[in-house]
Amino acid sequence: MRYHRPGLDVLAHTILIIGALVFMLPVILAVLASTQTPGALFSGTLPLWFGASGLDHYLTLLSEPVRGIGVPAWQLMLNSLLMALGIAIGKLTIAILAAYALVFFRFPFRRCCFWLIFITLMLPIEVRIVPTYGVVADLGLLNSYPGLVLPLIASATATFLFRQFFMTLPPELMEAARVDGAGPWRFFIDILLPLSKTNIAALFVIMFIYGWNQYLWPLVAMSSADNATLVMSLKRLTISQDGTPPWHLATAMTVLSLLPPVVVIVIMQRWFIKGLVDTEK
Amino acid sequence: MARLELRRLQKRYAGGANVLHDIELSINDGEMIVVVGPSGCGKSTLLRMVAGLESISSGELFIDGDCVNGQEPAERDIAMVFQNYALYPHMSVFDNLAYSLKNRGTPKDEIARRVDETSRLLGIASLLDRKPRQLSGGQRQRVAMGRAVIREPRVFLFDEPLSNLDASLRVQMRQEIRALQQRLNITSLYVTHDQTEAMTMADRLVVMNAGRIEQIGTPMALFRKPATRFVAGFIGSPAMNFLTLAINALPGWLTKVPAETTEPLKGELSVGIRPEHIMLTSSGSGHMDARIELVEPLGSESLVHVRPNGHETRLVVRHAGTELPTAGQLTGLNLQGPFHLFDRHGQRLATRPRLADTTCPMES
Repeated sequence: MRYHRPGLDVLAHTILIIGALVFMLPVILAVLASTQTPGALFSGTLPLWFGASGLDHYLTLLSEPVRGIGVPAWQLMLNSLLMALGIAIGKLTIAILAAYALVFFRFPFRRCCFWLIFITLMLPIEVRIVPTYGVVADLGLLNSYPGLVLPLIASATATFLFRQFFMTLPPELMEAARVDGAGPWRFFIDILLPLSKTNIAALFVIMFIYGWNQYLWPLVAMSSADNATLVMSLKRLTISQDGTPPWHLATAMTVLSLLPPVVVIVIMQRWFIKGLVDTEK
Repeated sequence: MARLELRRLQKRYAGGANVLHDIELSINDGEMIVVVGPSGCGKSTLLRMVAGLESISSGELFIDGDCVNGQEPAERDIAMVFQNYALYPHMSVFDNLAYSLKNRGTPKDEIARRVDETSRLLGIASLLDRKPRQLSGGQRQRVAMGRAVIREPRVFLFDEPLSNLDASLRVQMRQEIRALQQRLNITSLYVTHDQTEAMTMADRLVVMNAGRIEQIGTPMALFRKPATRFVAGFIGSPAMNFLTLAINALPGWLTKVPAETTEPLKGELSVGIRPEHIMLTSSGSGHMDARIELVEPLGSESLVHVRPNGHETRLVVRHAGTELPTAGQLTGLNLQGPFHLFDRHGQRLATRPRLADTTCPMES
């Protein structure tokens, strides 16, 4: 929609700029603070420009074991990345297969299965964290990637979204594939997956960020430093032994923790815009 | 190419609804059978049962003498054209055509050769790189046809393939489909609700109503001698007119009367008269008088809707000539044969010519 009223344009832009600033301000402050020397940060004034340290703190974080954590930040980032990828890919795989079964196959208690999956939407990890911990501990999976990823790998939200998408596809598509001699797997791989590209890209972004930002579960399941994730270590970094938290390092690590999700969004956005232009239901 | 044999096919749904009753039909090699009926009569279900997309509740289905009841669609070696074409949206025309061959493990150069051949046959050779959404309705229709043709199946199945096209394209495509089917000589089952499509394309026509076959025959046989009142009303456009008459007081213009049967006829019967067999004449000089209610000019002829005096039903008259009668006028109607007589249950009655001495005075 487009109205030819200059006043409206100015108003709209003002609101957009204010909104953008509100969202950007904490990030800008973190970036600025991460370049200050520790002394400058504790002087009590908000830094308004880059400080004297430049990228020194980042180099320190990435090259040396971080004080209070014991491993360098790249190790933490790798752990986080593996966890986030594991969760995102696992969730997508399970969700798309579950949705495929729910929409295209007729089996007893199909509706019941759907509702069982659906109601787990209302159960966040916090509610079931004690029994989950018990199960993972019994399986001997504490402090391991499977233990970190498996409890988070099912997604009712993604199943539901794939189901809704599959239901918009004409049923004749599967019938045509059956007549053309494609079995259930062929149909899934040759037709359903390519058509779901856009949805997969969008959900991957959401699920990757969800996985990356996990805090509580890694904190509980990963007690050893080698397996710590970046997000849970942030908190540990600010608990300092001598009373003054190393804010210069904490802000630098915050910025580091922002980078992978940003990269994923930038790459995937190109993908799903391409998907929207290329395919049509 | 194959013979298709349907023996007492039935379809029941779990809820108990019986949608097809004892369908008996045999289709000869290379024959085009058109199944026609109003929506909900079970014609699409029948087609899908032949395709293997719906299970058969009871009865048997034979293709070339083999019972295929339990076979998957692909095993039956049939090809189907869907109403919405069901082209794979993310695949190019080439891949759409090649998909069934790929699934059968046909070698690459063989696939390329057959896609080339088929696309030329259907005039879509220049479109092979396009995606379905870049095609017009008629082109999509052709790709859907191509996807069916390329495999050289034993049986073609068509599920209202022309209903998504505009009127002029529909006429063109129905001629093309018919020509292609005759050229390839493939046994075909074609489902439609459009009686014009049915009449023009069929070798034999199957009229269905409420899950039962009403009549099977050549289009002209069904037109000339409909077995039931339903078929009479369904075949022919505009539809046949019906007048309900008391059997013991048949009017003089009716040149046929029910033949003597073992059971004496009582009550009422309906007389079917096609719109082209009623003539408008001046008021008072015809077999009955009627008031003109609506005139629909079509160019070379017009449809005149009249309500005869003393009757509840409206009749449609095909009026040739460019001089239009005006609505509201009184007119006379001359009713000419052939008349079709049906009993209370809609079954065609055997007739005999009326003897001269039983002529009644003109009805007023």
